[in-house]
Amino acid sequence: MKIESTFKIKKGLAEMLKGGVIMDVVNAEQAVIAEKSGAVAVMALERIPADIRAEGGVARMSSVETIQEVIDSVSIPVMAKARIGHFVEAQMLESLGIDFIDESEVLTPADDKNHIYKHDIKTPFVNGATDIGEACRRIGEGAAMIRTKGEAGTGNVIEAVRHMRSMTDGINKIITADVNSLMSIAKEVRAPFEVVKDIHETKKLPVVNFAAGGIATPADAALMMQLGCDGVFVGSGIFKSGDPKERAEAIVIATTNFDNPEKLVEVSKELGEPMVGLNIDDLDETEKLAKRGW
Amino acid sequence: MKTGVLALQGSFFDHVKSLELINKEYKLIKSVTDLDNIDSLILPGGESTTMMKIQQNDDLFESIKIKINEGMPTLGTCAGLILLANDVIDGQTSISCLNTVVERNAYGRQNESFEGLVNFNGNKEMYCFIRAPKIISYGSTVTPIALIEEEVVGVNENNIVGLSFHPELSNDNIYLEWLKNFLKDGLNVRSL
Repeated sequence: MKIESTFKIKKGLAEMLKGGVIMDVVNAEQAVIAEKSGAVAVMALERIPADIRAEGGVARMSSVETIQEVIDSVSIPVMAKARIGHFVEAQMLESLGIDFIDESEVLTPADDKNHIYKHDIKTPFVNGATDIGEACRRIGEGAAMIRTKGEAGTGNVIEAVRHMRSMTDGINKIITADVNSLMSIAKEVRAPFEVVKDIHETKKLPVVNFAAGGIATPADAALMMQLGCDGVFVGSGIFKSGDPKERAEAIVIATTNFDNPEKLVEVSKELGEPMVGLNIDDLDETEKLAKRGW
Repeated sequence: MKTGVLALQGSFFDHVKSLELINKEYKLIKSVTDLDNIDSLILPGGESTTMMKIQQNDDLFESIKIKINEGMPTLGTCAGLILLANDVIDGQTSISCLNTVVERNAYGRQNESFEGLVNFNGNKEMYCFIRAPKIISYGSTVTPIALIEEEVVGVNENNIVGLSFHPELSNDNIYLEWLKNFLKDGLNVRSL
């Protein structure tokens, strides 16, 4: 007897990615560099977030050719992004055999009220969240993995830190709450009661939680791990830097040895130029991607 | 003495959870110096290519291979099985100490991943196969110890056990009892 795509199986793949680095790539060549550098998975994209930010326009799911090219070039899991609420892009990614779908605020949202109902798709989903309420809503819709939103394409880690701290505070509040207060908390943070109850009983988020958005250096990756993340996504930080291969390897080693400063110093030597960063306060409110998601 | 759990990347905390449930002390293994004072070893699921890459830093797997060859009870699940196998079909390097040939992701991509009914340790239980490796062949010194339908999904050779699935994501009582006995001396493996 075999049963495919149960929630346990979807969640299970995320468990296997823990302690790893998931890297944004735009073609087969970058995917191979990422795999050789020790990436645990790659995210196939048309443009990396820093370019989406610079060029503007509507950002959509990658072309079928790009995704196929990346799938064919590596043996590690391949992820791809669908627009928020665009369930047809998700159906297409499922059909392409993608291993994980990121319903991502980095792309231009397709629906300003609804996210995708993820239980109906065989492929597991990762969703961004800025706080516990948002994480619980996404899990309620079927997300098998959560990540901080951070502020993608900025090379500035402050938003990812803010989201992770907010998430930890939210989880702690639910864990330590009196059972009689759980419904009130669910109402306050706009979260499905069942997910809040599950967190209270198991004393943890029911799915893996990664860091994403603005991670550019080995130190950033280690910071997010020390704050309690299960792993990291690095978008623009690698292929917008001076020496992508060296930087990718260094971030991988730093993520494993996040609590070992000597090791962090060793891998941070001679890395070349990091990506140029953006100050979040200089961004117009409408330019903040983390605001997308409902 | 403690059980060492390889902690370069992957689901090592799920194995830690199993060890906590059987009251076995553990130690996370990230470098050669962590290998002191352990009496058994677990290689978790995750990405084998990533683990191979990270261990190069201090040739951790060479030291692990010596421990395994000296008879240390060693369990590998999923990627852990790939690391133990003598041969990997796509040519990936491994620790090479278990006389088997495995193929990575041979059951398909994530959409083909499944929970399957496995005959293991005289019991039938649903276990997770996640982009799982397939055991293609094994030598005469190797005993099959787990089956799904007619297919071998777990093997034992001397002090080594390799499983293509994830009992640590289920932690059923029969698995935990088996784990407790196996980690003692590596010899309490029940064949089919």
